[in-house]
Amino acid sequence: MESQIKKVHEQLVSKEISCIALVQEKLNFLKENTHNSVNLLLEEKALKMAAAVDVKINAGESIGLLEGIPFGVKDVYMLQGTITTASSKMLAKYKAAYTATAIQKLIHAGAIPIVKENCDSFGHGSSSENTIFGAVKNAVNPALVGGGSSGGSAVNVAKEYTVFSIGGDTGGSIRQPAGYNAIYGLKPTYGRISRYGLMAYASSTDCVGPLARSIEDIRIVLNAISGQDPKDQTTIQSEAISKEEIATDTSKFKIGYFKNFIEGDAIDAKTKAAFLETLENLKSKGVSVQELDFFKGSTLVSTYYTLAMAETASNLSRLDGSNYGNRIASDNLIDSYAVTRSESFSEESKRRIVGGNQVLSQGFSDAIYSKALTLRDEVVANFDKDFQVVDLILSPVTPSTPPEIGNSLKDPHAMYLSDAYTVGFSLAQLPTLTVPQGTATGLQLTAAKNKEQTILKFANFLKENV
Amino acid sequence: MTVDILSSIKGAQPSAAVDKLFEEIKNAHPATNNSFNNRNRNSVSLDALREDVVIESDAIEKEIIRENFPASKNGYLVVSKVIED
Repeated sequence: MESQIKKVHEQLVSKEISCIALVQEKLNFLKENTHNSVNLLLEEKALKMAAAVDVKINAGESIGLLEGIPFGVKDVYMLQGTITTASSKMLAKYKAAYTATAIQKLIHAGAIPIVKENCDSFGHGSSSENTIFGAVKNAVNPALVGGGSSGGSAVNVAKEYTVFSIGGDTGGSIRQPAGYNAIYGLKPTYGRISRYGLMAYASSTDCVGPLARSIEDIRIVLNAISGQDPKDQTTIQSEAISKEEIATDTSKFKIGYFKNFIEGDAIDAKTKAAFLETLENLKSKGVSVQELDFFKGSTLVSTYYTLAMAETASNLSRLDGSNYGNRIASDNLIDSYAVTRSESFSEESKRRIVGGNQVLSQGFSDAIYSKALTLRDEVVANFDKDFQVVDLILSPVTPSTPPEIGNSLKDPHAMYLSDAYTVGFSLAQLPTLTVPQGTATGLQLTAAKNKEQTILKFANFLKENV
Repeated sequence: MTVDILSSIKGAQPSAAVDKLFEEIKNAHPATNNSFNNRNRNSVSLDALREDVVIESDAIEKEIIRENFPASKNGYLVVSKVIED
């Protein structure tokens, strides 16, 4: 089974390459920052950790599978002692006082964080253009966006600047950039991985997840970072997934797809044709495929954004220049808060904060916010019904191919609608994997909660058979 | 209260792009109308609550917290002007 982590591990153990040389090579690529994927290089610490791995290898000691593996970290994760900006002006000088649980687990396993990666500010965006570090360029075609919000992470993995990266997914922020850059990206079941140390965007859908170039690497990293955490009370128990249980076998898969996703006007003709061809291909391999009913894309997007904006308005209220963020002094305290927030948040972040406060305010709360919660319940109930009859749901990742840099932020409503295929799975907190197959921006594979092994097994089947 | 005051953002106005999303929700027709039975609350059962204990930050963490709040007065970190007022 293909695995970049295992390949590098074997190179280290056989002394084909030293860990210092490996890390230095990756750092040299990242220093060029050709795709604006880098916010901060962690050179000094990374080389120190690499030297320690080399000492162990040279002393004849065994090393763990993740030991010495260089990885990237989306710049929304706390990593003690590093500037953690969320790609925002507000936190341009903020230094993390502690390390996020998921990142700490990887460090404990010996993996080496080498870069803090560019993204949309506070996760607010679908293109990684809403950032103070310059728009992230697509790994395949640099004239196009890298996708978002975990754009820098996806590009670094696709360009092989990192072996894997840790992104964050609230409404598609791992899956969409993974699709745009032709790699794998997993949004796990909500709660499988601790959110402690991840800057909160919308707490009820925020997920930590890996981006990698192989299914096996997704499995390895997922196992390393999953688990209950007393510091995040929404975390759940989960079992490690073995290599054997996700190997392809002859078991029959029952697949569903949402017919309204591919019958609407939003999807471009090539994406639709490629998706339908994939379904036919699956049928010819003995896979059962059936149509499912689902909500309109515009309803899903509106429900998701209403709730996400309400949550981000609350979460970002602490960024006032006093509790967090660069303070801009003014005549009095209230004015100081307002000036700081007005000058330090991007236009897109302000749009979402204002929208969130709008729906939470008197007169709007019942008509919009509460109604969106009801719609979310119906989305969840719809999935419960679907997973009584199918094992997995297949869908395109995006309705069309990545836009050119400079176009997305001009039309925010169009940008929101481009998330139509990803946000429904977020609302229901389901595990979903993007695979670089099936359409130009890949496919999403979704299963019921805690069925990541089913997804990975089907991904292997797809890779080997379709 | 207006959204600029609610958001602490000077001159903030509702946006047309976001209003389109809200219109979609207003016009939606859920099968039920009971938002109080929603199943998406990530509540924690009383049995699963963690111990209510104070965990002392280590020296590095304390030092970085001080760096993030550089102003101090009479030995206290000044996190907002309220303290000075």
